Amino acid sequence: MLGVARLLTSRLNHTFALSTSRLSLLLGSSSSSRGLSSGGVRSKVEAVLNLEEVKKVLSDLRAEDIQIIPVKSQCEWTDFMVIATGTSTWHVRNIAQALIHKVKQKQKGAERLLLPSVQGHEGGNWVVIDSGNVIVHALDEKARSYYKLESLWLTEMAPKGPNQDLEKALNTSASPYTLGYRPLNISSQ
Amino acid sequence: MIQPQTQLNVADNSGARKLMCIRIIGASNRRYAHIGDVIVAVIKEAIPNTPLERSEVIRAVIVRTCKELKRDNGMIIRYDDNAAVVIDQEGNPKGTRIFGAIARELRQLNFTKIVSLAPEVL
Repeated sequence: MLGVARLLTSRLNHTFALSTSRLSLLLGSSSSSRGLSSGGVRSKVEAVLNLEEVKKVLSDLRAEDIQIIPVKSQCEWTDFMVIATGTSTWHVRNIAQALIHKVKQKQKGAERLLLPSVQGHEGGNWVVIDSGNVIVHALDEKARSYYKLESLWLTEMAPKGPNQDLEKALNTSASPYTLGYRPLNISSQ
Repeated sequence: MIQPQTQLNVADNSGARKLMCIRIIGASNRRYAHIGDVIVAVIKEAIPNTPLERSEVIRAVIVRTCKELKRDNGMIIRYDDNAAVVIDQEGNPKGTRIFGAIARELRQLNFTKIVSLAPEVL
């Protein structure tokens, strides 16, 4: 356990100069590979948001229609998508601010630099809080019905079976005669 | 390597089909744009009866380039076409779905919205 912690801190020191979004990405990958809920090492991994905290903050702020979609099987760049609706642009911005505040509360001293990246804060129609393995989308009602993120991740990107086109192509290439047989040139005879 | 006058495909369902780059945003004297750069573009071709029309000036993010993209781990990624996604001033995509594979560098460049709509991230 201690060894893991030391490794993590050294990794963090390396990436200290990088941008915050990059940092959160690195943190996310390291924490997801190790599992967040190991009680012993509670130092740096606590820096990013985990699912329970996100749930609590969103329900405290009365965000509507909260949906948590595990997407680990469908894409490799994140583990969970959380989609929530705010009643107004003001409310959407507040959701983002509350999540950032939550992260800041958990961190003391120099580690305050580890903040998740926030996009779309000026507009307030669609704010994304990207904290590594949990991505929170806060949208207003109009944007939510326009982009339909939940239908994208629940149905359109549902875990696919083996790629049928690819298999078909491989099968045909295995038996070349089905593709078209070219007779030998016998004009010289 | 996208420069003014380069024609790009559109990788979303916003209604535009072909774009022409007219300006690269971010620097005054830059020659080429790469994956993740924002450009100003003109719509050269559009699907009829969609909100976007021909000869409209829009902003777009480059998501695929024929010029290869090098990563620190030695990986090189090269696509078959130059493609961009139409965005508005705030960075929200105009379309609701994105087609084809995109690079994960876009997430580090704060285009997580585009990445979360994409079917495949390389």
